[in-house]
Amino acid sequence: MAEQKFAENEVVELVTKIVTSIGTTRGDLIPILQKVTNELGYISQEAIQQISVLLKLPTKEITSVATFYRMLSTKPHGRHIVQFCESAPCHIAGGREVLSALKEALQLEPGETSADNKWTFYTTSCLGICGVGPVILIDTEIHGNVTPDQIPSILGRYE
Amino acid sequence: MVNLKINGRDIQAEPSWTVLQAAQHAGITIPTLCNHKDLSPTGACRMCLVSVKGARGLTTSCTTPVAEGMEVVTENQELAKSRRSVLKLLLSVYHDAGYTNNDADNELFRWARFYELDPQALMSPTPRYPVDQDPNPFVFVDLNKCILCTRCVRACAEIQGRFVWGISERGFESHLAAGMDQNMLDARCESCGACVAYCPTGALALKPTVAVPPAEKKVATTCSYCGVGCQFDLNVLDDQVIRVTSNPEAPVNGMHLCVKGRFGFSYVHHTDRLTKPMVREYLLKGEPRPSSKERGAWVETDWDTALDLAAQKLASTRDKYGPDSVGVLSSAKCTNEENYLMNKFARQVIGTNNIDHCARLCHASTVAGLATALGSGAMTNSMKDIAEYANSMLVIGSNTTEQHPVFGSKIRQAVLRRNVKLIVADPRQIDLCEFATLHLQQKPGTDIPLINGLMNIILEKGYVNTAFVEERTENFDVLVENLKLYPPEKVSKITGVPVDQLYQAVEIIVQNAPMAVFWAMGITQHTTGVHNVFALADLQMMLGNFGIPGGGVNPLRGQNNVQGACDMGCLVNVYPGYQAVTAEASRRKFEEAWGTNLSDKIGKTVTEIIPGVLEGTTKALYVLGENPAMTDPDSNHIHHCLEELDFFVLQDIFPTESSVYADILLPGVSFVEKTGTFTNTERRVQMVRQAISPRGEARQDWQITSDIARRVIALGGRRIYPTPWSGWNYSNSAEIMAEVAALTPSYGGISHQRLDTEGSLCWPCPTAEHPGTPILHIGKFTRGKGNFIPAIHLDPSELPDEEYPIMLTTGRVIYHWHSGEMTRRVKELMEVYGQALIEVSPADAYKLGLNGELTKVKVTSRRGSITAQAWVTDRVPEGLIYGNFHFPENNINYLTKAALDPIAKIPEFKVSAVKVEAVA
Repeated sequence: MAEQKFAENEVVELVTKIVTSIGTTRGDLIPILQKVTNELGYISQEAIQQISVLLKLPTKEITSVATFYRMLSTKPHGRHIVQFCESAPCHIAGGREVLSALKEALQLEPGETSADNKWTFYTTSCLGICGVGPVILIDTEIHGNVTPDQIPSILGRYE
Repeated sequence: MVNLKINGRDIQAEPSWTVLQAAQHAGITIPTLCNHKDLSPTGACRMCLVSVKGARGLTTSCTTPVAEGMEVVTENQELAKSRRSVLKLLLSVYHDAGYTNNDADNELFRWARFYELDPQALMSPTPRYPVDQDPNPFVFVDLNKCILCTRCVRACAEIQGRFVWGISERGFESHLAAGMDQNMLDARCESCGACVAYCPTGALALKPTVAVPPAEKKVATTCSYCGVGCQFDLNVLDDQVIRVTSNPEAPVNGMHLCVKGRFGFSYVHHTDRLTKPMVREYLLKGEPRPSSKERGAWVETDWDTALDLAAQKLASTRDKYGPDSVGVLSSAKCTNEENYLMNKFARQVIGTNNIDHCARLCHASTVAGLATALGSGAMTNSMKDIAEYANSMLVIGSNTTEQHPVFGSKIRQAVLRRNVKLIVADPRQIDLCEFATLHLQQKPGTDIPLINGLMNIILEKGYVNTAFVEERTENFDVLVENLKLYPPEKVSKITGVPVDQLYQAVEIIVQNAPMAVFWAMGITQHTTGVHNVFALADLQMMLGNFGIPGGGVNPLRGQNNVQGACDMGCLVNVYPGYQAVTAEASRRKFEEAWGTNLSDKIGKTVTEIIPGVLEGTTKALYVLGENPAMTDPDSNHIHHCLEELDFFVLQDIFPTESSVYADILLPGVSFVEKTGTFTNTERRVQMVRQAISPRGEARQDWQITSDIARRVIALGGRRIYPTPWSGWNYSNSAEIMAEVAALTPSYGGISHQRLDTEGSLCWPCPTAEHPGTPILHIGKFTRGKGNFIPAIHLDPSELPDEEYPIMLTTGRVIYHWHSGEMTRRVKELMEVYGQALIEVSPADAYKLGLNGELTKVKVTSRRGSITAQAWVTDRVPEGLIYGNFHFPENNINYLTKAALDPIAKIPEFKVSAVKVEAVA
C-alpha cells in the first residue's frame, strides 16, 4: 500500500473508475470499498461521498459497512499493515509472547500507526490457518510458526 | 382471520399481523424497546421474546408473523429471566452522567423496574462518550444512554427520509453515528427531531429544554406555521410553554413534525412581545400628524384609550371619505373565528368589500383558476390519500421539503416504500429531485408551455381519457385548438426542457395512473398565475384524474390557516363559504343576517389597497397580523405608500417592520394563547387550544376586533338593525364558530364540540351528522361539468436584458417563516440560518469573481438594491439566482416587481431581472 496523497478531484475520479468497473447495485458496495481501500489506502470521506452519489446510497450506510469490516478502513494507514491473530489456537501455540515482541519491535499498541507512517498495527480474529500458528499477516503475506526472536528479521524485510 | 392462543386466550388476528401486534390488539402487553408501531420491526433488543409452542428457543414476537393454531406464552419465569438478562446487559453499557434530563420517559428504566431491577445500581459507572457531543442546536446527543435499539435510525429513514443516523463500527465499539461519523448538520440533518421523539432512553433529547422540569399539563393544538396542519402537545409549566412533544393521535402527522413545529415556538415568550396598547403621541394630544413622513413618538396607553381612538379614526375616515377608503387586511395566521370577524367588520361595520389577506400573494390564482374550471378553489384530495394511492406525482413549483416539510417527507416515503414515480418540474434543483424519476428544469415563467406541451403529446399519443372527458367535462375542443400551438419542439425551445424528457414525462404519468399534481407559489406567483392553474386543471381532466383517491389538483396552501381565511370570506369578492358579493341572493342573505345594507361592489385587493394610498383612494387601514412592509413586492414603493397613509391600526404580537408606519398598535395573542380553529391545506378543520394566558395586557384577537366593532357601531353613521347575527357580544370563540356554521353551508356541521370529540373534519361538512368530505368532485364537479379553459402563454412582465442580465426568483427556506417575525425570534433557528443567503450557481459565481474575499453579492433591480451573503450552489442553474424575504435588511422584495395577474391580482414574485456584482 503506497503512501500517497490524493487531491479531492483525483479521489472522485478514481472512485468513479472503480464503481464503473464493478457496478452500482447495493451488492457491489463491498467490492467497491475493498478496491478503494486497496487503491487509496483507506476510504476517505470524499470517497464515501462519491460512492453515495453513484450508488444512490446514504453516506451513513456506506460508513456502517466501511467501519464494520476489518479488511476495510476509513482511516489512513501506514505503508504496511501488520495484523496479529489473537484467536485461541495461536494463543495456545505461544501467541502471547509473539504479541509482546511485536509491540516491542513496532513500539505500537493495536490500532496505532507509527510516526514515520511505516507501520499500522492491528490484532485480528482467526485468519483460518491455525495449523501454522502463531500467525502474522503483513499486508497480504502470511507468516506462520512465528517465534518472538524471528520478529526483527520478518519486519526487516519491509521497506 | 388467523386463530391463535396467547396465554391460553383464543385470539383472532389479521394474517399480516405479527405475534406482538396480535397481543397488543388483545390488550396483552409484551415488553419492547426497539419496537415502535410506526417503524419497521427489527428484532434488535430481544425484550419481546416469547415462548411459542413447538418452536426452538424463544422467538422475537415483533418479527414473527402469526400462524394458524399458534400457541404463545408471553410471560413466565423463563421469559422473565431472559428479559432480566437482556436488561442487565443493556444497563451494563448505559451510563447516566447525572445531569438533569426531564425530556424523555425512560423506557429502559421503566422495564428494568418492572422486572425488579435497580437501574441505578446496574448501570455502567463510567462514561464512554462525551455528553452533548453534537453541536446541533436542537438535538442533544448522549451516546452513553444509547442502547442501539435503532429506533432513531429507522425514524430518520422511514419517517423523515433523510438517512442521517446509522451505526458505525461493530461489537462493543458499535455506536450511533451521523452520516460519515460527522456532526448531524454536516450529515444533512434537517433537525425535524423525529429521532428524539422515538428515542426510548433519552440518548437523544430536545436540546433547548433538556434541563427544564417536566410539564404540569399538556395541551393538544394545531401548529401555526405551514398549511399541513400538524398537531402536537404544548407542554406547559408555570404558564409558559416549555416544549413541544409529539401527539401520536395527530390526524395529519402522527408523531412527525418539522424543525419549526417542534423547535420554533419560543418566540411566544420573546421579550419583544407587545404587551400594552400603544398610540402615537399626536393622537393622544389631538394634534395633527407631525409630518407626512413622520408619526412621532409611541406612548403606552390603556385599552379603552387605544380602542376609542381606533374606532373614532376608522369611523370618521369612513364617514368623510366613504367606506371604500378603508382597507381591512386579515391574517392567515389567525383562526377562522378571528377571520370571520374581520370579514364581518369590513362588510357590516365599515360597509366595504376591501377585505383581503395574504392569500392574494400566494394562492389567489389557484382560487380563481380552480373555481372557474371546477367550481371549487381548494385542494381536491387529502395528503394521506395521495401518499397512499397516487402511483405518480407531478410536483410543479413547490419546494415541498422546505415549505411543507411533513408532507415533503410523506412524498419521499411514497417514493421509497411504494415506488411512486415522482416528476419534479422546477427551475431549481430542489431536494425532492433526489427522489424524482425525472426532473423537468423549465425556465421560470414557462409553466404554461410546459404543461400545454405535455397535453399536446397526450393528445398525439391518444392517451386522453375519452370517457371522462365526454361524461364529465365541456369545451374540450377549445382546449385541443389551443394545444396545437404548443408542439414539443417549440415547447422545448421556450422551456429549455429537452423534447425526449417531455415524452418521458407523459409516459410516466400515463403508465402510472392515478397521478396527483401538486403546486405552490412556483405556479401562482406569475402574471399568468390563473392560466398556469387552468393548464394543470386541464391536464388532470384530460387524464381523468379527478374524484378518485391518489389524483386531483392539489395546491399546497402556505399559511397554517390561509385556507380558512379564504373560507371565512377574507377576500374581496366573496362572503364566507365563497358566496359571491355580487350575487343578489347571497348579499340578501348576509344583509338579513348582519342587519344592514352591504356593498355589491367587489373590493380592492391587498395589492390595490396599499398602492391606493398614493392615488388617494385608501385613507385608513386596519391590519390584523400581516406584515406588508416585508411581504409585498417592491418594498420601497410599499414603504412610501405606508408612510403617506393617513391612519393605520395594526394588531399584532410583535412590533413588526410594518409597525413603523402604524398609528395604533394593539397587542393580540399568539396561537398558544387562543382557542379557535385552523383549516389546513386539505380543508381539514382542527382545533387550536389555549395553553397559557395572554402575555401582559394582550387580548384575544376576536375580542379586540369586537371591541372596535362595537365602538364604531356606537358612533353611528351606519344603521345596523338587531338580528340574531348582527351583534358583537361574543363570550367565546365557540359562539363565533356557531355563527360561521349558521351562515356558511360548507361549515354548516362544524362546531368546536364536534372537533373536540371527532378530532378533525374536512369541509364541505353541511350538517351536524355529515362526516366531512376528504375528496372533492367525486362523480361530478362542484360546478357540474369540468370546464376546459385554454391556457395561453405570455412572457413574464420582466425578462433579463443587457442591463439586468440575471433572472431572480424568490421563496423561503426551511428554517424561517415568511417575514421572519416569528422565526427570527427563535435563537436556535437563527443559529442554523442567521442571515439571508442568495443562491448563486457555480458558473455565475465564477463569472462574478466570488471567492474567499468577495463572498457577498450586491443585487440590483429596476426597483431597488440589496447586499447579502452568496451561497454558491448547484441548486440554481446558470443565469438564475434565488433569494428569500425573511430578513428585513436584505429582503428580496426590494427587488421584486408588483406586476399583477390581471384576474387574481397576484404579483409576479417569481420572475424579475437583476444585475449582480460580487462585493466584500
